[in-house]
Formats: sequence, structure tokens, C-alpha cells
Amino acid sequence: MTKTPAPAVELRGLAKHYGDVVALTDVDLSIAAGEYFVLLGPSGGGKTTLLRTIGGFHRPTKGEVLLHGQEVGHLPPDKRPTTMVFQAYALFPHMSVTQNVGYGLKVAGMDKAQAAEKTAAALEMVGLDTFADRRPHELSGGQQQRVQLARAFVLDRDILLLDEPLAALDAQLRKDMCLELKHLQEKVGITFIHVTHNQEEAMTVADRIALIANGRLVEHGAARDIYRAPQKAFTASFVGENNLLSGRVTETAGQTARIDVGGTALRVDRRGQQVQTGQDVTLSIRSESVALDTAPDTEEDGTSLVGSYNEAVYLGLTTSHLVHLPDGTEMVSRVIADQDDMMPAAGAPVRLSWQPDAIRLHVE
Amino acid sequence: MATVTTNPVGRTRPADSPRESWSEKLGRWVFYLPLIFMVLFFAIPMAATVVFSVFERTMFWMEPGFTLFSYENFFFSARLTNFLDSMKYSLIAVAICFVLGFPIAVFVRKSIPQVAQHRVVLLFILPFMVSEIIRVFALRPVLQRNGLVNTTLQNLGLIDEPLTVLLYSHTGVVIGEVMSFLPFIVFSGFLAMEAVPKYIFEVCDDLGVGPWRRFCDVILPLAAPGIFAGSVFIFVNGLGVALLPNILGGPGAVNAGLIATQAITALDFPLAMAVSAIMMATLMTLLWIGHRLFDLTRILSPLS
Amino acid sequence: MDDYANPWLHRLKWGYLLLVVLTLMTPVFYVMYVSFNANGFGANAYDFTWEWYRLVFSDELLLGALRWTLMLAVTVTVIAVPMALLAAKHYKATRNKLFPVFLLLAPLFVPPDILGSALLVFFKNLNLSLIWLGDQLGTSIFDSWFRLSFLTAVIGLIIYTIPYSFIVILITMGRYRPEQTEAARACGANGWRAFWDIEFPQIRPGVLSACAFTVILVFNEYTRTSLLKGGFDTFTTVLISQMLNTGMSPQSYAMSAMVSFVAIALIGSIILWTLIRAETLSRVARAKAEPVMS
Repeated sequence: MTKTPAPAVELRGLAKHYGDVVALTDVDLSIAAGEYFVLLGPSGGGKTTLLRTIGGFHRPTKGEVLLHGQEVGHLPPDKRPTTMVFQAYALFPHMSVTQNVGYGLKVAGMDKAQAAEKTAAALEMVGLDTFADRRPHELSGGQQQRVQLARAFVLDRDILLLDEPLAALDAQLRKDMCLELKHLQEKVGITFIHVTHNQEEAMTVADRIALIANGRLVEHGAARDIYRAPQKAFTASFVGENNLLSGRVTETAGQTARIDVGGTALRVDRRGQQVQTGQDVTLSIRSESVALDTAPDTEEDGTSLVGSYNEAVYLGLTTSHLVHLPDGTEMVSRVIADQDDMMPAAGAPVRLSWQPDAIRLHVE
Repeated sequence: MATVTTNPVGRTRPADSPRESWSEKLGRWVFYLPLIFMVLFFAIPMAATVVFSVFERTMFWMEPGFTLFSYENFFFSARLTNFLDSMKYSLIAVAICFVLGFPIAVFVRKSIPQVAQHRVVLLFILPFMVSEIIRVFALRPVLQRNGLVNTTLQNLGLIDEPLTVLLYSHTGVVIGEVMSFLPFIVFSGFLAMEAVPKYIFEVCDDLGVGPWRRFCDVILPLAAPGIFAGSVFIFVNGLGVALLPNILGGPGAVNAGLIATQAITALDFPLAMAVSAIMMATLMTLLWIGHRLFDLTRILSPLS
Repeated sequence: MDDYANPWLHRLKWGYLLLVVLTLMTPVFYVMYVSFNANGFGANAYDFTWEWYRLVFSDELLLGALRWTLMLAVTVTVIAVPMALLAAKHYKATRNKLFPVFLLLAPLFVPPDILGSALLVFFKNLNLSLIWLGDQLGTSIFDSWFRLSFLTAVIGLIIYTIPYSFIVILITMGRYRPEQTEAARACGANGWRAFWDIEFPQIRPGVLSACAFTVILVFNEYTRTSLLKGGFDTFTTVLISQMLNTGMSPQSYAMSAMVSFVAIALIGSIILWTLIRAETLSRVARAKAEPVMS
């Protein structure tokens, strides 16, 4: 696929205020053409506001929105090279599926025969060619979202915005639609910007992910990096199932820092971050990287903690073992579920350990 | 999929159109037109009543000046007594309308399927198909000495002598007010009940809350803005609709509307304006109290 | 009605509701009844006749008034309903709702005689001021702007009817999902196009009801019209002045009975039509949905 030199979307110092309420502040972001980009974050964090600002549904309070290198902050949605798929209820109930999909072409004044051909092709692409004469209320939730996709594709715009497109669907359907979205994006090759609060959905579809919370862009990067090596403690708390520990730096030596967590010294890779002795930091470690062991060693090795066993939560594929550290923090060790023979009694002392590179240091 | 091939350059639409075209500007201003109209021809004329009320009366019209003669004329005469009397009877009409009409609104919301609710409420519009004045006038043969009510009661043997208080009396005016304004308490009650979610009834049943407690503790507070609006409507119209005392009232049944119309007929325009100003002050005070008690914009909130 | 409620109590409540409607309708029925009586109002004997209806159409005064009324009703509707629509759109979009709500609903609370006299005096003074201004400028073009006339009656009736249209339209707009307008914008339609193609077809029932409402209100209004009209008479003002002076003529009963027949038929058919339409729609939906189920 051809790449234009300017990124598909570029945001510079973007901010949106509603009176005194700051919905979005200081967002700088660049999204390449042909990328599947996900805006992930908790509800009310500002991700939808960001998407709607790109789409022209909100006028930014400050900052610039550039699409293909052109400033579009002043343009309404219909004058932008974007189109949007909404969460739900966005189909026109008084029009058939065909009329819905063909509406944009009709507005653009396209010749009827050509428009009909394009509409049919778009419907075929989303697998709804046999539903052309239905009305929206005769379709299931998944089908309605497909119609929205077809309605967007038919316009040949090169940036597609998806605002929680799968939120109204049930879990199984959401999984299927996720994969389908990913495949559709690969097929048409245009830029997808997808808003969701569901990390699994984000992981499934995204090339790159940006985390948005409290109106700020927390972190962005390749989906894999966000999961494996989050920079910010917030990212660690939101993506994957991470244990967060707070501690204080006692010593730095080369790339390694010694962190005191509730009286136990841990060795952690600094990952290039500057820390000073006495500084408060956060550590994160994914629950599946934590091993549980019933014979606690008294010897500190810098990659383990001792606590008292609390309970096991059976989750089907995996089992989560909950452990209380002496200072009251709860840690989780997640293992594949077939080892149910090893179940310590509640209150029994256990040791939690991990590979040295599994634990991450976050400086805030 | 030939029709949906990738061509990013072709898809980029020109983004260099002017900042905002004149039609877009006009488009935004056009939404203020109704408000401008209402300010010019409603708010200003209503506020101007205060100004005109202190003008000097002339033979056929009025001239600029400052005199409180009209207010004197209103407050130090039988007019004040009549006005206060009409307030009393108007309040009675409000109470009767509420007792008769509000349960209907609750019933419609609670026990009638969602799709049919609006149609049932629409039934109460039917009386408005005939001019209010004709409806009121037609009450005369119903209420008069040998009218429908008296004949029926006598035939049933409930009374020996025909009731004469039903017409050309305060009772007659109250009956007229109830007959004219009852639908409005149903409408406003119905709108107000939008603020009471249907599950409330189920929760109350579940908790074993009786109908009376449910009404006092749950429905009334939630529906209060709408009930208040409906009540103010009836109260103020009871004070201001001249034709009710004119057609159904007897001696002493004179409300503000009738004073104003009589003043206009007598070419005493400042007095008419003073009465209008007093009515507007009464209305504004009521609405202000209502707004302080329970934000009146909530009436429309179920609709937005 | 829930499954455990006493069905008789439910029926009793329905009965009460219908009784109230019927009681309120008594005067209407009475007018209809009298309009077919050859002996007119208040007579003891009742002889059925069409005579009064025939007379209506030979009464020049009534026919002329009817023409004025229709013109007035049409003019007011054509102006007030679009204004109410704009106001409702504005209300939906604006953050500060108190001011528009107050301005648009306050006329409901102002009694007819008060609104009528305030506007009457306002227009008279406005007219005198404009004449004075014209004299100063040596022109007489302002002289007739706000003289009591068709125009002033139209303005007064717009003020009177706009709250009703506003509420009716707002109720229908409440069911409209604004996402659809945004979707239309995302499809390339500008604001007006999105409104006409997407929103308007969906709120059309509300707009039509608002029109029907306005026509009926204008038709039946007496106080405001008679205070603000200039030299013409509407149907209702003729009726009322006859009624207040000489008592109602039997053909007036016939006329108002006719108006209510038409109006009731109108409302009745709206109710029936929406019922039938809703029924057909759901039937079609079920029929179409079935192949997918199997």
C-alpha cells in the first residue's frame, strides 16, 4: 500500500474544555496512514472526545488537528476526509439497509447506477448482501454495526473512526466482530481509529494503542509493547492483570536499582529511567509472571516476596491465587488451572517469585 | 472489491474552504429568531404593562405621566375583595382538578402499555375541539334551574327543590374552571410522571410500600415540578379568564381578567394595564417560588 | 397492568377515566344535539332537522368570518410551527435552557384577557410612536404597521400557540437519536441536509400534530383574537358576539357542531392511523424477521 508522507492524523497540543471541565488537554499524537490505531482507556477519560474532535463533532478549545498535513480544526464533519461508525442507534430507521448505505453517495450527488453498484459491493464486503431491503429494526445488533461499516466504506474516505463500535454487542459476537474488523482493515488498507475501553478488544485489533485517561494521553506504542513493557504505572494497572507495588529507592547501581517494598529489598532494572535514593516509585509485575511456592525461603534474593496465602479464584483456563503481603497489599499469582493439587491453607506463609526481567519500574 | 480499492490521495477532500460561509452564519442565527420574536412581542409588551399602568388616563386613551391612580383604583375598592375572592375559588378549583385529574395521569403511566399512553392522553384533547367559550356557555343549560343536573337529581329523588347555587354563583365559576382546566392537570401530570421511572412501582411493590406512602414519598417529590406547573396554570387562568365569571358567575364573581376587559370596554386603559401588571407579578412570583423549590427546567428534562 | 393486579380494579380505573372524558365532552355533545333541533336552543320539543346546516351556508356574515378564520389559521400555522421547530432545535442544542424554556412556555401561563389587553395597549402605543416618528421624518409609511389588523391578530395568536407546538415537537424529538444526525454528517451531509433527510422524516408526526393543534387553537380562540383583530371578524368572534348580545342563533350551534365534528374526526383518525400503522409495522417486522429465525 502506498504511504503518503504526512501522517493520516496529527494532533498538536489538542485541548477541549467544557466550561470549567477539562475533557482533554495537551494531546500530541501522530497516526500513520493505513494503521489500525486504538484509543484505549477508562470510561469518561476523554478518548471519545478525542475521536470526535478528529471527526469534527467537537471544535478543539486549543491546538490543531491535521489530517494528511492539512489543518481541519475549523471544518465540520462533512468537510473532512473522515467517516465514523457509532456505538449504536446510528442507522436511519426510516430507510432500508440499501438506502442507509447509499445515503452518503446520494448526498455526494453520485450517479444512481454507479451508487447502486458501490452500495451492493460494500454490502457484500460486510456479508449483508441478502439483507439489502431490511429496515434497521429488523436487524440484529451485529448486523446493524455491519451496515454502519458498509455505509462508511462506500464513501471511500481514508480515515475511519470507530466509537466503541462493539460495546452494545454480547461477548462472543464482540470477539468475532473484532477479528472481522481487523481483516476488513487489512483488506481496505485505510486508517482505522478505534475507541474502546476493552483491553482485549484493543489487543485483538490494534497495530498501535494509545492510552487515554483523565483527559491526557498517558502512553502510546505498539500493542505488544504496551502489554509487555508499559512505561507508566497507569498503563500497567489498566492493561493486562498487573500487580502494583509501591516502594522506595534505597540504592542505585548501574542499570539496577534497589527498591524497598514493605521491608523487603527488590532488585529492579531501571530501564533508562533516572531515580534517586529515597524516591517513591511504583513497581509492576504481571500476575502470570509471578510463581507461587509453598516453602518460603527466609533468604532475600531480590526477586521474591513473602506473604500469607488468602484464597484461590478459579477462572476456567487459569486460577488466580491471592496473597496478602505483610503490609496489607494484595498480590495475585495466575497459573494454568490444572494444578489444583497445590492449594495452601488460608493464612499459610507462601513465597512469590519471578524472573528478574519480569518486574518493571515506573517513575511518576 | 474493485470499488473499494485504496487510493489515499484521491480520498483526501480539499480542506481549504473558507472559515465559515455566510449561509452557515445565517444558519446559526436563525435559531435565535423565535426567541427574538418572543422577546419583542411577548416579554417586552408584558413588561411594558408596568409602564403603561402609571400613565395618565385621558378621555379615550392615555398619555405619558406618573400616577398611581390605577393602583389606588384597584387596591382601595371592591376590586381587591373580588380579586382575593377569585384567588380563593381558583385555589379550590386547583385542588379539585388535582384530586380528580392527577390519579388519571398516574394510572396512565403505571397501568397502560407504553405505546398506548400518548393516545389515551390524547383523549383529553377532545373537549378542546369546541371553543372554550361555547363549552362554557353550554354549561348553562346543564347547570340551570331546570337543567340537566337538577332534572336528573330530582328524578332520582335525591333533592326536592332544584339547586340554585350551581349557576350564577361562585360554585358555578368553580365548576366551569374544573370543566375547562381539568385536562391540563392530566397533561402536566402525565409529563411529570415521565420523571417517575416505571420500575419505581415494582420496587415499591417489592418493598411492600402501600399506595398512599408510595404517592407521598416517591411520586409526589419526583413529579413535583410538573404538578406545580399544572397547578400554577390552573390557578392563574382561574384568575385571568374573564368569560368564566362572565357567563357562569353571579354577583361578586369578578376576577382579574374580567376587571381588565371591563376596564378596556370603559376605555380605562391604565387600569387594565395595572391589573395586567398585578397578574404578571403574581405569576412571576409563583414561577420564581416554584423554580427555587424545584428547578422548573426539570419539567422538560425527560424530553431532552 | 401487572399480572397480580385486580382486573376489576383496573377496569374501574378505566371506567373512571372514560367517565371524566365524557363529562368534559358533555358541552360538546350538547352543542351537537341542539344543532339538529328545529326548535333551537332551550326548547322543550325536539324535532330533528338539517335546516340550520343549510342556513350556515347562506349566512354571508358567517361565511365571510369563516374565510377570515381560515386565513388566520393558515397564516399563524405557517409561521408558528416552523418557529416552534427552530426553538425546539435551539433548546436541544443550547446549554442554558432556562431562558428559552421560560420565554417559550410563559405564554401558557398568561391568561387570555391579560395577554390580549397587554398586547392591545402595546400595539396601540407602538403604532402611535411610529406615526409620531413618521411625522418627524416626513413619511407616513410606518402609520399602518401596527394598527390593529390581521397582522396584530397573527402576532398575538403566534404567542398563544407557540408553547403548544413547542411542547408537541419536543416530545417527538425526545425519541430521536442525535447520533443519526452525526452519522449523516459523517456521510457528508451538511447540517441542513442532515436535518431534512434524517431528522425531519422522523419528527414529522410531531410537526403535523403541532399544525393540527395550532389550526384548532386559532379556530376556537375568542378573547385574544377579538381584542387584537382590526375590522374583520372570525367565525368564533361572530358566534360569541351573537351569543353575548342576542343569544346564540341555531345556525351558530350548527356551525360549531360542524367544527367539532371535523376536529373530532381529525383527532380520531390520527389516533386510529397511528394505531393501525404501529400494528402494520410490527406485523411486517415479524413477517420479515421470521426467515432469519428459522
